[in-house]
Amino acid sequence: MGICFVSKYKIRQTLQITMIAHALFFYFFSVIAILSAIMVVVSRNTVHAVFFLILDFVSIGCLFIMVGAEFLGMMMLIVYVGAVAVLFLFVVMIMNVSEQKLSWLRGSKKSNHIPIGLVISFVILLELVIVVGGWKYKSSFLDTGSLNLDGGLTNTHQIGNVMYTEYIHLFQISGIILLLSMIGAIVLTYRKREGVKRQNYFNQITREREESVQLVDVNFKEGVKVDD
Amino acid sequence: MIEIKYLAPEIFLVISIFSLLSVGVYLKNSFNIIFRLSTVIILVTLLILLTSDIENIKIFNNSIIIDDFSSFIKSLILISSFFILIMSKKYLNDIKNDKFEYPIIILFSILGMFIMVGSNDLIVFYLGLELQSLSLYILASIDRDNLKSSEAGIKYFVLSALSSGLLLYGCSLLYGFTGSTNFELILKNSENVNTGTIFAMVFILVGLAFKVSAVPFHMWTPDVYQGSPTSVTSFFSVVPKIAGIAVLIRFMYVPFQSIIDQWQNIIVFISVGSMILGAVAAIGQNNIKRLIAYSSIGHIGYAIAGIAAGTENGFRNTILYITIYAVMNIGAFAFILSMKRGQKYIEQIDELSGSSKNHPLMSFCLLIILFSLAGIPPLAGFFAKFYIFMSVIESGMYILAIIGLVTTVVSAFYYIRIIKIMYFDETKKPFENFKDIGIHGSIVISCTLLISFFLYPSILNNLISNISIF
Repeated sequence: MGICFVSKYKIRQTLQITMIAHALFFYFFSVIAILSAIMVVVSRNTVHAVFFLILDFVSIGCLFIMVGAEFLGMMMLIVYVGAVAVLFLFVVMIMNVSEQKLSWLRGSKKSNHIPIGLVISFVILLELVIVVGGWKYKSSFLDTGSLNLDGGLTNTHQIGNVMYTEYIHLFQISGIILLLSMIGAIVLTYRKREGVKRQNYFNQITREREESVQLVDVNFKEGVKVDD
Repeated sequence: MIEIKYLAPEIFLVISIFSLLSVGVYLKNSFNIIFRLSTVIILVTLLILLTSDIENIKIFNNSIIIDDFSSFIKSLILISSFFILIMSKKYLNDIKNDKFEYPIIILFSILGMFIMVGSNDLIVFYLGLELQSLSLYILASIDRDNLKSSEAGIKYFVLSALSSGLLLYGCSLLYGFTGSTNFELILKNSENVNTGTIFAMVFILVGLAFKVSAVPFHMWTPDVYQGSPTSVTSFFSVVPKIAGIAVLIRFMYVPFQSIIDQWQNIIVFISVGSMILGAVAAIGQNNIKRLIAYSSIGHIGYAIAGIAAGTENGFRNTILYITIYAVMNIGAFAFILSMKRGQKYIEQIDELSGSSKNHPLMSFCLLIILFSLAGIPPLAGFFAKFYIFMSVIESGMYILAIIGLVTTVVSAFYYIRIIKIMYFDETKKPFENFKDIGIHGSIVISCTLLISFFLYPSILNNLISNISIF
């Protein structure tokens, strides 16, 4: 009896510790996410803003992984950080707009964008309030417990289970479409230039000493004529 | 996975595309060999398709259907692409556009059409459609140093993407209101007519009407036909239309069968509009590719009139019409691809004047094709129109039939004008004389089929009368 009590107490204690650790991690990532989101807006240097955006994406991806949506989190990393943010970075660097001129904030010149921006942000705020307030009157949704899902499988596993069995033909066709778009991009943009000197590794490696080095007797004060 | 054997033509096509790609990358100047290989591949695919015993079967969770309808359309697609490929080889060599990707992209689009025609599910259908239209965008702008070709590509890409968006919106509405992407389940779930399904039907119809260039959505056709290289135009005007009409039939007769009263009106409107525009707008054209573009809009109008009849006979006659249309257009484009003077291919109709003196045989072939396009009796084009009007009248749509007859008479004007220019105007310099088995073979086969159709119309009719999709 006593042993049993102790073990139960211990379990509760470890559970509490993991929950606290979980909460700590949650706050850690969310604070970073919120701070970097603010920094995206306020930083003067656009390149810095994009870097903060990447940090924001990474921490939100971590938050997704924490709630067990590991597929979404990884997709966040791959798609947003790997592709979108890098694209932003390219655009910012190519357009050379890294130093933003915040003239309208300093009040030296009136901008007519501010009223429209204010109206739009007010509408968005209103919508947010309505969504959060309306949650109280939500209709009864289907309980996820009633769905026939195997809780022991991860998201990735479950997506893979249908993607590679039931929808394999769609998966393959999508692959063919991507291949075709790649071929199309190459066909329409690749140009073979004439007269470009290219490196030929084979020729470089197979060169013999005799082909390129020549011993010449040089007469005094006459030099040697190098044909080129 | 016993099901996979039913996909043998598609799988063969995919494997051969990949092998051709690797051959093309490793061989230098591989255009000619890849071109020959791809025509062989089309023939082999046709052989596989015809030798596999056709049975009505649905595979991959009922998302792909293989029946005699899809098999007939697939063989039609293969045969017409074969002829278009063999007749465009000389043209591509002449305009120095011998990229080895060209025939491969054509094979890709054939694959897309196969998937589209064999689809019994919205997702499969959409993926097939995208594969097909993506290859068509590339084909339209393949002559990238030519301003007109690039313009045609951009125009087609932007407008087609828009129509794909509308179509996708319709698909999502359909899924939302009927709870399934499967065609049969959609039909089952939309038994009691609801507004959502009708909305979805309208959007999907808009997308499909764009793809076959039927009237309110035809604006891109003349510019794209004129701008893209002639070999691509010939492909555009035949093969995607066959696939588009087939998919339109499948959509109207399977998932939307229960709302036939609603779609019939829309189809009648589209058909009437296309017939009138095709007849009237082509009159003022001087460029033969533009003229063919308008004439193809008109022909699509007649083909759709068969669908509008709403009967089993109606869609069978539509298939018959589109088959004969393909034969006629292949012949017409074979002639256009032989119009070369000096180093340049010419497209103006005036340049044809007096060609009957210099090229009596070719001009006679074009005369037959044009008479057939106009619908003059003993030729196949007449029978195609005749069957369409028969089924329209059987359904009691007299006004549609009358408008069709009137527009046929009007459109005969511009076809016969070309004949008049060829036979009665003063002779100009002859075209370049050359022998090309592809071009001359296609034009001769096309003419023979058009002339001899009335001797044994039962061959094609029997083939088509077995087709049912219900």
